[in-house]
Amino acid sequence: MKTPATLFCLFAALSALSHAEMATELPAIEVRPKPADEVVKVNFKFRNKGTKPVKILDLESSCSCLSAEMDKAEYQPGEEGTGTAEFKVSTFVGRHEKILTALTDDPQQQEWEITFILDIPAVVDIEPKTLQWWIGDELVEKTTTVKMNADTPMKITNITSTRDNVEFSWKEIKPGQEYLVTVKPKTTKDVTLGALKIETDSKIPKYQRQLAFFSIYNKPAETPKAP
Amino acid sequence: MKAVSQSLILVALAAVAAFGTHTWHPRAPALYLTQEPLRDDEVSMAVIREKYADEVLWIDARPADQFAASHMPGALNVSEQQFDEQLVQHLDALQTNSKPVVVYCSGQKCEASRKVMERLKEMGFVKDAFIFKGGWSVLSQQQTP
Repeated sequence: MKTPATLFCLFAALSALSHAEMATELPAIEVRPKPADEVVKVNFKFRNKGTKPVKILDLESSCSCLSAEMDKAEYQPGEEGTGTAEFKVSTFVGRHEKILTALTDDPQQQEWEITFILDIPAVVDIEPKTLQWWIGDELVEKTTTVKMNADTPMKITNITSTRDNVEFSWKEIKPGQEYLVTVKPKTTKDVTLGALKIETDSKIPKYQRQLAFFSIYNKPAETPKAP
Repeated sequence: MKAVSQSLILVALAAVAAFGTHTWHPRAPALYLTQEPLRDDEVSMAVIREKYADEVLWIDARPADQFAASHMPGALNVSEQQFDEQLVQHLDALQTNSKPVVVYCSGQKCEASRKVMERLKEMGFVKDAFIFKGGWSVLSQQQTP
């Protein structure tokens, strides 16, 4: 009767001691698409640094722009694996952190998070992106700067507004590189949300039309809290 | 008496097996139900019903193809990836809106709803805006056919 009990205890102790630890080579995987890229694929390496096999049960992404697959379903202790992630770049610009969560059969690491840093060059950089006035504000001009960071010069060819409630103009600061857009509301009596459609001569279709926004809105009294 | 003791042994063995399964099974459910509290910027369907009588403006932060498949009635599609292009289509609706805005994405893990809400707030395009906790995975179950 003692032998089964001893075996059970031994099995339980071994189970408790063995562990799995899936980890990528780097803390975060950097992805740097080129300006014209619509989709970019990246391979990444990882390893099972634990002492028991690990099964990948599912992959969940924090962003619909990110999907991934692993080269296998199960990884033995010490085994290296390769994953392939695919990003839909769309109109993202700047640095974005996206998390891929691998669900595993390891009770001590049920969710293994893989961090991706998506760094997309801002070929057209509009700063500030939104010009804001509050209801009742004076009718003052505000400006936004449009910088072209492409390899070749890019020009603004036209700007139109979605609202008649603003006057606007633009001038070239550095030929093919930098423009200053000036906007002035005709009235600040009413709530107005609008956009300036900025057309460029870029050869890349997604940079041929850019948007800057403006708003005339009620000044918030304080930050709203959920009930 | 022997039958009782044997039954007890069987029950004890079953309990040990159940305990072991629960301890080591990777997808073992919690032993008791837990309700993670809402953050300051989150709402649930119960809050929407009680506080706003279902009168909210829904913003769907999922990609256009998922929005096209199904969405909350009257929802506007403003996703993280196509933010500018989709937002410009909804300027009239946002300008005339007086309801609280509730943004949702696909589920618990997605972050698009928070990012879209924060951008809309920064731009001054919405005032009272919240995230729907659980996203479409919860909403789609609560939708009445």
